[in-house]
Amino acid sequence: MNPEEWPTASLGPVARAKVLASAWPSAAWVEGVLDAPYRAVWSWISDLEHSIPQFDTTVTRVRVRSRRPAPGEPGVDLVSLTATAFALPLPFDVRLEDGFCLMRGAARLYLVIMAAEPHSDGARTHFCHVEAVPLPGTTFVRRYLRRETRSDLDNLTRLAKNGFPG
Amino acid sequence: MDVEQVVRAAQRGDPEAMDALVRALLPYVGRICGAIAMDKGDDAVQETMIAVLRNLGALRQPEAVRGWVRRIAVREAMRQATAEPILSDQATLDFTPARLIDLDGAIDVRATLARLPPAQRAILVLRDMDGLAEAEVAALLNMPEGTAKSRLHRARKAFAGRWNE
Repeated sequence: MNPEEWPTASLGPVARAKVLASAWPSAAWVEGVLDAPYRAVWSWISDLEHSIPQFDTTVTRVRVRSRRPAPGEPGVDLVSLTATAFALPLPFDVRLEDGFCLMRGAARLYLVIMAAEPHSDGARTHFCHVEAVPLPGTTFVRRYLRRETRSDLDNLTRLAKNGFPG
Repeated sequence: MDVEQVVRAAQRGDPEAMDALVRALLPYVGRICGAIAMDKGDDAVQETMIAVLRNLGALRQPEAVRGWVRRIAVREAMRQATAEPILSDQATLDFTPARLIDLDGAIDVRATLARLPPAQRAILVLRDMDGLAEAEVAALLNMPEGTAKSRLHRARKAFAGRWNE
């Protein structure tokens, strides 16, 4: 029997985000269903310069410094960007792929994950948002991050319902 | 970077290494969980990966990561699978291991495996898919080697029996 004939299980983008969130005690994550098709949602979100300041109210500006394909990984881009929050420019290294975006702040001080996949009804999108400070002893920030992730998801839900701005 | 280097980086708390480790382990974990837990395989994969990342600090030998992950995946897949109704494992046809290996691509392996109890699927997966020795299978499933051997024989017979129905 060819090993390729055995049934295999998978880990979708949303489950992958939750797996990673489970590894950091400070992590806050929320999930919800956006009232727009997956392709429309991800196409809009993956334009990070444009999308992030519109749903994350703490970020006033995002500037992509570079974007290149990941070597040997088709469909994956490695992005360097600066997000300005509270008037501070914060550099991030980003791994961006279809349905999954992992943003790591400089010196690993801050971590953001956005993950999306088609909802079972085909017309909407299952979305998961994670924020974490992946350092020991940072459990106390979870309450703040929970509020932030919830606010971001609420904004995304509203934007999806009303139509993403061009 | 090989998987041992990824494990070491992930143990230091590198988020990108943790994600890389999940991606590197997924094909292997997916095969174990898919074959044992069947329709609940995706849940078993998620629980396995959570357990792996949460307990990664306890892995003292990164070169042993495959065996360590295998043990976790089998446990989580069995846990998910045991909620399924247990079917009879009485075999009706004679069967030889060579025949199992020679099955061609037209056989619906999934449908046949689904009719076996989770414990028999686990033994088949470990022995015939992963290629473990009978002693390793026995150790992994906490049973004497003789028991593993007889259960493997019964599992292969049951698989062949269901396949030929």
